[in-house]
Amino acid sequence: MRTRLTALVAVLLLGAPIGSGGASARPAAGGVTVFAAASLTDVFPALAPENAYSFGGSNALATQIAQGAPADVFASANTALPNQLYAAGVVEKPVAFTRNTLVVVVPKSNPAGIHSVYDLAREGVAVDVAAPAVPVGAYTLQVLKQMGLTQKIEPNVVSQEVDVRTVLSKVALGQADAGFVYATDARTVPGQVTVIKVPAWAQPKVTYAMAVVSKSPNRAAAQAFVRKVLSKAGQAALRRYGFLPLPKPAPTATAMLRGTA
Amino acid sequence: MTRAQLLSRTARGGAAALVAGSALGQFVGTAAADPLPDGDLAYARLLVATELLGADFYARALASGKAGPRLAKRLRLARANELEHYQSVGQILSGAGLVPAAPEDIDFGYPRGTFASEGSLAGFALELETIMLGAYLGAVEGIQTNALKPVVARIGASEAQHVAYLATIRGLASFQAFPNPMTIQQVSNALDAYTA
Repeated sequence: MRTRLTALVAVLLLGAPIGSGGASARPAAGGVTVFAAASLTDVFPALAPENAYSFGGSNALATQIAQGAPADVFASANTALPNQLYAAGVVEKPVAFTRNTLVVVVPKSNPAGIHSVYDLAREGVAVDVAAPAVPVGAYTLQVLKQMGLTQKIEPNVVSQEVDVRTVLSKVALGQADAGFVYATDARTVPGQVTVIKVPAWAQPKVTYAMAVVSKSPNRAAAQAFVRKVLSKAGQAALRRYGFLPLPKPAPTATAMLRGTA
Repeated sequence: MTRAQLLSRTARGGAAALVAGSALGQFVGTAAADPLPDGDLAYARLLVATELLGADFYARALASGKAGPRLAKRLRLARANELEHYQSVGQILSGAGLVPAAPEDIDFGYPRGTFASEGSLAGFALELETIMLGAYLGAVEGIQTNALKPVVARIGASEAQHVAYLATIRGLASFQAFPNPMTIQQVSNALDAYTA
């Protein structure tokens, strides 16, 4: 177990900008300490204000948890990181709890005249992305590859950020012509950025997963928080903030294609 | 629904029996032999999405009950064609070890009134088929792997048949010596209008 954990920490450290995240406060009575993806910054405190939160790039948070940071729950913008921590015995079995989509944001003034992802390939366009180790950075690379645009857009990448909110703020401040963020982040600054769709045919599958930290001294409360997120009320809160429900079994789509609906 | 399930169910429905096996064999062989360029795989993803849109639209159009018997028969044939095309272009991706998009991966939406009458069904079908024709003609030009071009061209010919029929019943029959190809960006932007 120790060897696997050491190896995991080493792997995570390779891409993790240490310094983001870090628990900021103690939880209120009945609350727990939640390490969560930066994209959950608005919805989680609204859903459970009694908790203490540390938001940041999921990879950085995973590293901190693997190194023994005092988290009770880990909520990641992907399923890979919680699964890695689970395999190393750091967290209990992860559970998927919501989905998201990727969009491009441009400053409201749109100085580069960006109207589609393809415009990001134009010479001189300054594109901001998250680092590849951050889930949103990995999803961004996936989009570019799936659209056959990696070679054309990568030369225009001017910075790689530690989390999605940093990408968003840099674009909102006009420090980049465009950036890739989650749809839920884009809607937090509606007056400052314009949203451009990433085509549905090139969308990555952005699934969030969360898990109780194995060494949590507040296991029952941590499990209660996970149940709260998965509850009808929790899922409704996520939807209010623009997150997508988990996919249902698809009888409707099946029936549609079969022409029986 | 997984692609395998789709194929299985379609096969049970009889449509897959018509799949151009030799053409599919070409795809798989090519994809397995050489890694396809990202640009070709991007085209395959886009074409898979257009076929899913086509199949979704025709299924909804038939379910609306607004098509008369003659049009309904053609819509069923067109839908069967789109499912076969979906399998073919999906093979480009699966042959490269990738998973083609499945129906539940993309949520489609349609302009208000699309399913209101036989005329609106035919009108939207024509618009859709024109995009699909442009997409395949563009793919013939844009795809780099020569082995993929013949089947893409054949599917384009199939879409042209749909366009011709729909244009005729819309009273818009006009023959074009060189129908216009669309760039991958143009097709993607056109699809954006019908996806969530």
